[in-house]
Amino acid sequence: MRFRIYRYDPESIGKPRMQDYEIEFDPQGKKVLDALIALKDGLDESLTFRRSCREGVCGSDGVNVNGRNVLACVTPLEGLKQPIEIRPLPRLPVIRDLIVDMAQFYQHYRAVKPYLINLEPEPESERLQSPEERAELDGLWECILCGCCTTSCPSFWWNPERFLGPAALLQGYRFIADSRDQASGERLDFLEDPYRLFRCHGIMNCVEVCPKGLNPTQAIGKIKTLLVKRAL
Amino acid sequence: MRQVGGAHRGLDLWLVQRVSAVYMALFLPVFWFCRAGTGYTGWHALFLGLPMKAAAALFVAALLLHAWIGLREILIDYVHPLAWRLPLYFLFALAYAGCLVWAVDILWKVQ
Repeated sequence: MRFRIYRYDPESIGKPRMQDYEIEFDPQGKKVLDALIALKDGLDESLTFRRSCREGVCGSDGVNVNGRNVLACVTPLEGLKQPIEIRPLPRLPVIRDLIVDMAQFYQHYRAVKPYLINLEPEPESERLQSPEERAELDGLWECILCGCCTTSCPSFWWNPERFLGPAALLQGYRFIADSRDQASGERLDFLEDPYRLFRCHGIMNCVEVCPKGLNPTQAIGKIKTLLVKRAL
Repeated sequence: MRQVGGAHRGLDLWLVQRVSAVYMALFLPVFWFCRAGTGYTGWHALFLGLPMKAAAALFVAALLLHAWIGLREILIDYVHPLAWRLPLYFLFALAYAGCLVWAVDILWKVQ
């Protein structure tokens, strides 16, 4: 199998480059991460990438494969056009090879206060929800923060410091939609901004690439609907 | 103290863009069905009445507003220096306002 992989070593003075690799590897039933591990083990131990759970749960191995943001661990090798081009997630600073600096991404995530805000005294056991209220959170809580959506969003590419990006907005809506949360007003106040929210133009790259099959564009639409309802 | 809230802007323009789109989507088919004949006399008769004049002027206003808001979005996306963006906002606003005046002038000249 043939691969073309983005290489960058911060300790050398060289510029980032694409390196070609060829390895005997049966793609049957294997994922991109398997090939990366085989390359690192067999050909080039300096090749650097993040991975942890290797089954699409931790979200640490988001990479760009043949122009598409994916989780390497759940993307089948079969059917990929060769040489398989693997690059780091777009628009984030590269630390080394396929490892990007996610600081900006997490900063936006922190900004939406991704935790329950409820000032009432804590109940003895738990805060109850009806099955319907709980169902509101489906399609929101499953996000693993891999960054595939945000780094595929052109609005994020143009304004990465100020547009929160689909992942943070999805999480923002996850707590607005939570029946136990009492801060939806403040959350909407924070989001009502030409940059933070309204840079989203419904391009829907986020929906296209989400490895968990979530729909951030729909969540953003629901935030806008709530803002309209509040204003009118 | 540091303000944590948003700019509380963006929603109004976003909403105006949607409302103008709805008006255009409603006006165009109505306009299509109303036009009687394609000759000069047909067109002349159509634009003689005040309701059509007003509806058409409103259509042009909706179109220009819609276009300006879209343009503003593009400028925010791509033109980051304020020294460039601000003059461009005003330049296009002025040009579009001129278009509106011109369109109203044309419509009201139909006697």
